[in-house]
Amino acid sequence: MLCVDTTQLLKGVLDLAVLAALRDEDGYGYDILRRLRAAGLQDVGDASVYGTLRRLFTGGFLNTYVVPSDEGPHRKYYALNAAGRAELDRNGKTWREFASTMNDLLGDRGIV
Amino acid sequence: MAIGWFDRLRIERLVWMLDQQIYDLPRARRIATRREVRANLLEASADVGTTEALRRIGGSRGLAEQYLVAEFGDRPRPSWIGAIYAAGLTPLLLNYLLSEVTNGFTDGVRAAHGSGTFAFDGVAYLQHALTVTVSGSEVALSGGSWTPWTYAIWLLIVIFAGRLWRLRRRSSQVRAGATDD
Repeated sequence: MLCVDTTQLLKGVLDLAVLAALRDEDGYGYDILRRLRAAGLQDVGDASVYGTLRRLFTGGFLNTYVVPSDEGPHRKYYALNAAGRAELDRNGKTWREFASTMNDLLGDRGIV
Repeated sequence: MAIGWFDRLRIERLVWMLDQQIYDLPRARRIATRREVRANLLEASADVGTTEALRRIGGSRGLAEQYLVAEFGDRPRPSWIGAIYAAGLTPLLLNYLLSEVTNGFTDGVRAAHGSGTFAFDGVAYLQHALTVTVSGSEVALSGGSWTPWTYAIWLLIVIFAGRLWRLRRRSSQVRAGATDD
């Protein structure tokens, strides 16, 4: 049976999802994870998100800074930089076009 | 939710295991990673409980792979820690092997001839000839050092253990200017 594997879909757009989660507010690893889950991405893996954050940072799309915490160890915050915002805009546009195409395709055939 | 000492130990265990698997990261990046993972796990643990937090993060191996791929890309990469272990352990193993062979020879000549000076060719290809002088309970050895072949074997083991040929194929993906906190 052909089925849409949401895990695979998520893998393809996780970078975009993480960038989007940081668009309005900086965040630390677990905080970003919570935002993604609150947005409905329940299946997102913790390790995948942490790895994605590191990859985006290494790729030059995020900046980091450390904030002391009263409740525990210091937290490393991630923030979108100019390159990250440009990447978010570009990939966001690509995603919207793709989603629109799929919606049209499914809509034309009376699906969903 | 308060985190007890046992739960902290469970978190530390994962952080320690992760640390063992990300030795190939630059030192500062590795320390930052350890701190970050610990902080995230402590918060997750307070949020959903330690068992669930550890389950969600998966094993240390998967997490380490994420960080290594983020740093070096997903193409095959060398293992510096493997090369270091091989460089340290191989001479120990080789010297143990060669000394056991020498001890066997010494015990043999002592049993057969008692005292005297005896020449031994050494282990073929691995060891230069050595002279064993037995005088009562005293044994003196001279010679028996490694041959160039032994050094070549050592080097080969280091290369294989560290998969160092991958260095040639690896293009640096680490931004020179990227720093970590």
